Amino acid sequence: MNSASLPLLETRGLDFRFGSRPILHEVNLRVEPGSIYGFLGPNGAGKSTTMRLLLGLLRPAAGSIHLFGHDMARHRVALLNQVGALIENPSLYDHLSGRENVEATRRLRGVPAHRTAEVLALVGLTDNAHRAAREYSLGMRQRLGLAIALLSDPDLLLLDEPTNGLDPSGIIEMRELLTRLRQEHGKTIVVSSHLINEIEKVATHVGVIQQGRLVFQGSLPDLQRLQTGRARLVLETEDADRCRNLLPRLLAGATVPAAGTLWLPWLNKEHSAEVAAALIAAGQPLYGLRLEQPSLEDTFLHLTEVKELV
Amino acid sequence: MEAALTPDFLTLPAAPAPLTQLRRTLSADALKLRRTAALRLTLLSGLFPVLIAFLIFFFKGDIIMKAGGSPWPRFIMAAWQTAGTLLLPLFVVLLTSLVVNVETKATAWKHLYAQPVGRGAVFGSKLLLLLVLNAVALLLFVALLLGAGFLLAVVRPKLGFQLHAVPLTPVLWMLGRTYVATLGLLAVQYIVSLLWRSFVVPVGVGMGAVVATIALLSWEHVDKIPYAAPLGTSASLKMTKAGVLETAHELAKHEWYSLGWFAGALLLGYLVLYRRNVTN
Repeated sequence: MNSASLPLLETRGLDFRFGSRPILHEVNLRVEPGSIYGFLGPNGAGKSTTMRLLLGLLRPAAGSIHLFGHDMARHRVALLNQVGALIENPSLYDHLSGRENVEATRRLRGVPAHRTAEVLALVGLTDNAHRAAREYSLGMRQRLGLAIALLSDPDLLLLDEPTNGLDPSGIIEMRELLTRLRQEHGKTIVVSSHLINEIEKVATHVGVIQQGRLVFQGSLPDLQRLQTGRARLVLETEDADRCRNLLPRLLAGATVPAAGTLWLPWLNKEHSAEVAAALIAAGQPLYGLRLEQPSLEDTFLHLTEVKELV
Repeated sequence: MEAALTPDFLTLPAAPAPLTQLRRTLSADALKLRRTAALRLTLLSGLFPVLIAFLIFFFKGDIIMKAGGSPWPRFIMAAWQTAGTLLLPLFVVLLTSLVVNVETKATAWKHLYAQPVGRGAVFGSKLLLLLVLNAVALLLFVALLLGAGFLLAVVRPKLGFQLHAVPLTPVLWMLGRTYVATLGLLAVQYIVSLLWRSFVVPVGVGMGAVVATIALLSWEHVDKIPYAAPLGTSASLKMTKAGVLETAHELAKHEWYSLGWFAGALLLGYLVLYRRNVTN
């Protein structure tokens, strides 16, 4: 990450607790301007809490939040002028039409009147704007929520699980919209999710939170590099335990996920050849030998499991 | 792109002035009122006590007016006492709960507080809205009441509504004092609605309080209970032996208490709400 440029959004040592229950611990987020920051973590890890802190909905127990280089605690109202947010389910007034829902927030923010039609068109809801929000499908509600978040043409968008409850085509639509907002409109977007597969196709940067601690933060290539160190050699044989007993030095670091399978951390080509030769020399059958790259999902799961063991 | 972003994000964007924030919030709140039960309640609540008084005079007016004189004082008292005893406190309880519930039902508090308006603007705007709706409902009640009197003059000329002047001065004093009498319970109910953010809790608390107040009417400190104030004001409407409608041209003690509750509840409630975390 380019540490020389000023981050658009930064948290310093952010702590939060509900009563005596700690929720966040020493979270230092850093979001570069013009990036899509995928904020990942399993449910209950503290993603929504962090999002709420970023908007000033919750008060941190310690630490500070800086938006555009300014302290959020001191300039909340001024800074929120530049922020659009969609927190969990969109807040929609069911008794109002789609257009009236946008209009309510437009008036609240003092945005020019022509923006209502613009944001409705941007999310593809122009034809349904006259219908009551209660008649909207889940996908339409999510898009209407996004339209409302985009009203003031904010520099920063905070989206908490925006694909929650969407069907596959809705997820693809949302993904395309986010990419377009970054590329054509220069927005910086923080988008939280508990699914890496959703994030990896849009994000430029990733932060992974686990039990209230940030366990990884960096660009998507950084995360991909992290997983190359975790490639493994998969050996298929007759009796994995017997192999381990026969070759204690070579197979000391092996794990046995199934009776006939051995996993070894991948070191280099020579090491792979040596293991294969030794197995055959020991009279064991070698049915298969392959190099396995963990998927981003495995890496993500690994990152979020490590802390649970500690 | 980063080069273009850097210069303008170092300058702090301007925050809208407090009054601008309030005006914007109020404009949004007024829009959200469309097609709500709160609005229908405001427009229709005055009808019920007037209708009852109208029907009583329509069918039994000749018995009530046997002694002669102006029918206006008796008619106004009948309607005002129906309204003030039970209906008005319950109306205020329902109205505050419904207005606050517009946001609660839409899970919109988190959205509202994430907008570039302060918590004071959100708090003040809804309060102003409630004060206006409450005033509109009372004004409508008075307008309907006088309208019903004029209607009786046409359909029941024997009662003599057309022969006597409308006692406008005591009616206007009652209007003002009744409004003041509702302020204390309005503020208490507003804070309860904001603190619990459900529809059931404030309605339950309000109805319980109204019923309890009626049970406590003979207690010497009942004038200090905000839920009893509208009742006290209604009861202060008197008719002299000469058949003239009379009411004090000043605030009664219980109305001052109502104002005290209004100020106290709002101040305390705002202090609690201002620092509170928004979790729903």
